[in-house]
Amino acid sequence: MSISRRSFLGWLGAAGAGGSMAAGPARAAGNGQFAGYPESLGVLFDVTRCIGCRKCEEACNKVNELPAPAKPFGDLAVMQTRRRTDAKSYTVVNRYENVPGAKGPLYRKLQCNHCLEPACASACFVRAFTKNPNGAVTYDESVCVGCRYCMIACPFEIPTYEYDRALEPRIMKCTFCQPRLAKGLLPGCVEICPVEALTFGRRRDLIRLAHERFAQFPGRYIDAIYGEKEMGGTAWMTISGVPFRELGLREDLGVTPAPELTKGALSVVPIVAGMWPVLLTGIYAISQRRDKIAREEQAAAVADAVGKSQAEAKAKLADALAKAEKDKKAAIDKEVKKALDAAKAAAAAAAAGTPADAPPSKVS
Amino acid sequence: MQPKFTLQKPALTPFNVVAGIIVAVGLVITVIRFTKGLGATTNLSDYNPWGIWIGFDLLVGVALAAGGYVTSAACYIFGLKRYHSAVRPAILTGFLGYALVVLALNYDVGRPWRLPYPFVVQQGTTSLLFEVAACVALYLTVLFIEFTPAAMEWLGLKRARSIVVKLTLVLTIFGVILSTLHQSSLGALFLIAPSKLHPLWYSPYLALYFFVSSIIAGLSMVIFESSLSHRYFHDRMDATHVREADGVTLGFGKAAAWVLAGYFVIKLVGLAQTDAWRYLGTGYGLWFLVEMLGFVLLPCILYGIGARERNLKLIRRTAAWTVLGIVVNRFNVGLIAFNYHLPSSERYFPHWMEIGISLFVVTLGVLAYRFIVTHMPILYQHPDYDAH
Amino acid sequence: MMKERSSLRRTGLVMTLAVLMLAVAIMSVQGSAPAAPAADDAGKPRADIIRIDGLRQFGALERPAVVYLHERHTQALSKKNKDCAACHLPDRKYLSTKFKRLTDASRQTVMDIYHDNCTACHRQTADAGEKSGPVVCAGCHQDRAVASSWADFGMDRSLHYRHVKAQDSKCEACHHQVDPVAKKLVYVKGKEDDCRFCHLEKTVDRAISMRLAAHTQCIDCHRKRLAESKDAGPATCGGCHDAAVQRKIAKVKDVPRLMRGQPDVTIVQAVQRDGQPVAPFTRMSVVPFNHVAHEGANDTCRACHHSSMDACGKCHTLQGSKDGKFVNLQTAMHRASAQASCVGCHDGAKARKECAGCHATMARKDPPELSGCVSCHMPKPAAATPETAPKDMAAMLLAARKPVTATFADEDIPETVEIKSISKQYQAARMPHRKIVQTLVKNIQGNTIAGAFHRDPGTVCQGCHHNSPVAKKPPSCASCHGQPFDGRNLTRPGLQAAYHLQCMECHGVMGLDKPTATDCTGCHKDKI
Repeated sequence: MSISRRSFLGWLGAAGAGGSMAAGPARAAGNGQFAGYPESLGVLFDVTRCIGCRKCEEACNKVNELPAPAKPFGDLAVMQTRRRTDAKSYTVVNRYENVPGAKGPLYRKLQCNHCLEPACASACFVRAFTKNPNGAVTYDESVCVGCRYCMIACPFEIPTYEYDRALEPRIMKCTFCQPRLAKGLLPGCVEICPVEALTFGRRRDLIRLAHERFAQFPGRYIDAIYGEKEMGGTAWMTISGVPFRELGLREDLGVTPAPELTKGALSVVPIVAGMWPVLLTGIYAISQRRDKIAREEQAAAVADAVGKSQAEAKAKLADALAKAEKDKKAAIDKEVKKALDAAKAAAAAAAAGTPADAPPSKVS
Repeated sequence: MQPKFTLQKPALTPFNVVAGIIVAVGLVITVIRFTKGLGATTNLSDYNPWGIWIGFDLLVGVALAAGGYVTSAACYIFGLKRYHSAVRPAILTGFLGYALVVLALNYDVGRPWRLPYPFVVQQGTTSLLFEVAACVALYLTVLFIEFTPAAMEWLGLKRARSIVVKLTLVLTIFGVILSTLHQSSLGALFLIAPSKLHPLWYSPYLALYFFVSSIIAGLSMVIFESSLSHRYFHDRMDATHVREADGVTLGFGKAAAWVLAGYFVIKLVGLAQTDAWRYLGTGYGLWFLVEMLGFVLLPCILYGIGARERNLKLIRRTAAWTVLGIVVNRFNVGLIAFNYHLPSSERYFPHWMEIGISLFVVTLGVLAYRFIVTHMPILYQHPDYDAH
Repeated sequence: MMKERSSLRRTGLVMTLAVLMLAVAIMSVQGSAPAAPAADDAGKPRADIIRIDGLRQFGALERPAVVYLHERHTQALSKKNKDCAACHLPDRKYLSTKFKRLTDASRQTVMDIYHDNCTACHRQTADAGEKSGPVVCAGCHQDRAVASSWADFGMDRSLHYRHVKAQDSKCEACHHQVDPVAKKLVYVKGKEDDCRFCHLEKTVDRAISMRLAAHTQCIDCHRKRLAESKDAGPATCGGCHDAAVQRKIAKVKDVPRLMRGQPDVTIVQAVQRDGQPVAPFTRMSVVPFNHVAHEGANDTCRACHHSSMDACGKCHTLQGSKDGKFVNLQTAMHRASAQASCVGCHDGAKARKECAGCHATMARKDPPELSGCVSCHMPKPAAATPETAPKDMAAMLLAARKPVTATFADEDIPETVEIKSISKQYQAARMPHRKIVQTLVKNIQGNTIAGAFHRDPGTVCQGCHHNSPVAKKPPSCASCHGQPFDGRNLTRPGLQAAYHLQCMECHGVMGLDKPTATDCTGCHKDKI
């Protein structure tokens, strides 16, 4: 059955209009901002409360069955050196002395901040990291290849690697005690802290709590929550009475979440895949065409040159033949004249007498 | 029938001895690496997860293997037939380069047997490393296929060769696409860590910088290893090769001058875009100026002079210098300007075993190159086959 | 061959030029690095640093302001028996603080005065073979950093009394008022004000800045007396402004009261719009104010009388007035962030070591607890009538209100409290409850402000037994503190943290070395 062009276009238009009307409910335009899962949990660390007892380190070590450390957790002198997380410690507490504005030493617990948009999860090329709806950023060792790009990506320098294991090295970092959370228990460090320097709850409740503390104790805190906006927001946040940089927290990280930083580069990939074939084939076609035209022009020039030289040769030959013809005629004329002159001379001699040696007449 | 060259060279040349030692040591380190782990064989730390196995073997290796796509693009896509004799060596260098990159990766990664996981188990498509892995894997395949005609000619596989040769243009185009993607993505890897890379090297244009400098690397590397081949494998070269060689050097030198100039300009644009001028007065700034003036502007000018005055020696020397400059640039981004904010006690310097493996990998490449070039029609055209 | 060499040479030249140009560009952008703090004269910080930037009033400065060391010059000149008059011209009664001029006529004239005089003297001194100052532009106009020991200075009651004695109670020696009609400075007895009421941070019209006023009047008097070899204050920069010297200024122990017609006690009163005082009977419970006690507790009158010696209510009216910058009486008395307000100053007292143990952990409530209001606001006394003068009513109220710093009887306070309800890893903590309470009460004995606010014997208990009504048997902690992290009330810690936070913070702010917060067994022994 044949269909006229007009009807075909009509059907096409109707289908398009119908399709667009049948579209589902409009979703929010993608402006790329993720405010976190609404029920995301978090932990608020209050520097003004921490007494530097290291019980959190001990509890973390116990609940995660990590190997025993070189120095026991009761040894507070280890805090004299600045430590970072390592393959055997998901969390450490550092001491900061002589901070201007503080009345004594200050302590800060550092661990994975469970970012809302984690750099490690964005960087992992086997999706070994998951940002769970409860806020925890967890690591799946069953797919990890060990490329350690997550360690490059993390702005807080948290993930660590088991460099001393040859066959099954893993990334080691705080898990937010995901197995305990699943059982309704508190994270190990939170449960053991004797002064509740770590407050556990929903992230948005913790932000409100922090502001309440700022209002209730004016002069005790800097009016800012570290991790509220840094790198797009983290689930574990810190409040303190001194500027955060005095506690080793970088204040120059910005508020752009890590995935946003690579979005641009990634988005170019399909464009290159789409445009390069066109571009390169085009260049190839143009160069082929140019070659072909060059070849044709060359052939034409050759033929032209050949033809020209041929014509030249022909003309030359004709000239030569004509000249030869002329020469021959002149020669004949000359001989004829000579014979006629000789005959005339002989006749004149005969009339005058009879010379004995009369040349033989050359009469043909 | 090609007359067989019977060179009565002794096996124990100085080169062979040194190469042998490096290979032997490399094998020993390999055993240690896979029995004792990364901690025993590297100086990597939690602050410095990537060392020279990534900084040199991967970043520099991939950049210097770029001659493959550059030369084949010049010859087959841009139709510059006078570079045809340079294609096979460049493809060989590229293929060996990428193969060795993958080999070195097996050392660096924690569980190398899981390297196929991103393709077959779970795809982390938000990651630029996924993009690098996919494109490098595909491009290695492309290079391998582009290399096979030479091997097939050596093995006498006429039918197979004629099939593969028909794919040349498609493979070349595909190769340029893949190269664009993974060369730039290697630079884009560092976009995710602006707080760790010094502001003079960190730029939103990092991907573009790596891509453009890979072209420079490819052009220079072709000139460089062409000069080496001429010195050591001259007897393997046929008349076409010898005749076209100077043209390759001059042409690629001129192209490199232009690309270096463009690269210099876009680097300045990047500085302006991030307003990083004030860092030029610091120690890192001085080093950045050394890289920019000594390894970008200087070779640009020298290439230009060499090309204009047809000074082949100058171009060849500049090519070697530029190759060094690529090494400097990749080292800067990956190792020197990275973690600039950490105290010197936490900075990284490679373990001797890491250097040993890097040397091992490079030596394997040189040995493989030597074997292939002396046995297969790379530097000469096999008389039984037409050029493609 | 030749071509290669020449082109390489050219390249070398181009590269060198490029590098040089870049170096120049970078250095000009960076500017010259500031010189290390050159603490002159045996490396000590100094208090005589003056930045000469008088041309700033005429426009932007072309060169950096001159860092001028005043005392170095006065010392050098005094060696040649030259005094202040060598540089400072007489201006009516005193010496002008300006250099060799009385007014700033124009940019050029001021600049010339400095340039001509400074360089002339420097050249002269140099010609005489002595150490001299610079004579080229950059020698003076360089932004060098000199370590400074300068500290702000003012008079307190002790220093004021020393001046009163020295001047034989002749206030007119220093205090003056402006007669707007005669446009002169006159002395009005009974209206002596703090200098800073009129002489502010910056000169306003004809009221010169405090700095100029002090340097003119004070220095002049000291200078004249020193010239007559009389006992006088300092006439050098460091003599007043050096932080170390300030600490050495003699303090008179019992400064007699400075009488200026102020009341002993009074009522803090509101003033209506028309300037009439508000009848105390018809408004809030009145606040009797013990002016004598407050005089003794502060170093200066300015602690409260920040703009004038009048009663607060004169400018801070009920609705606020222009004189009071529209800060009404309620705000003026209660704003916690204002040091001159009642609440602001009293809050500061809470930060003292003996008070902070309880008060540091008390959350600020907004609006505050009404029970605190009655510490100041008292219902009118029964004996008062509408005709009772404010000072009499205040005397009546203050007599009825005695500071109390006592708590319940010993037998009503448990001697030890065993905290064992959540003991898991440790044995019960045995808290020496009575001893702690007695120590806290002892700490505030004789403290009148504590006594004013702790009149209820159960108030002291509220330090720990908080958020509950005052009672002889206040509730135990476990009454409210249970499991931690109740999502609906995150501000309330769990029981364990409640104990630890309360105890540890108190110990911390009161400066107790033992028990250390990290010494668990210091408070509760291990369970074996």
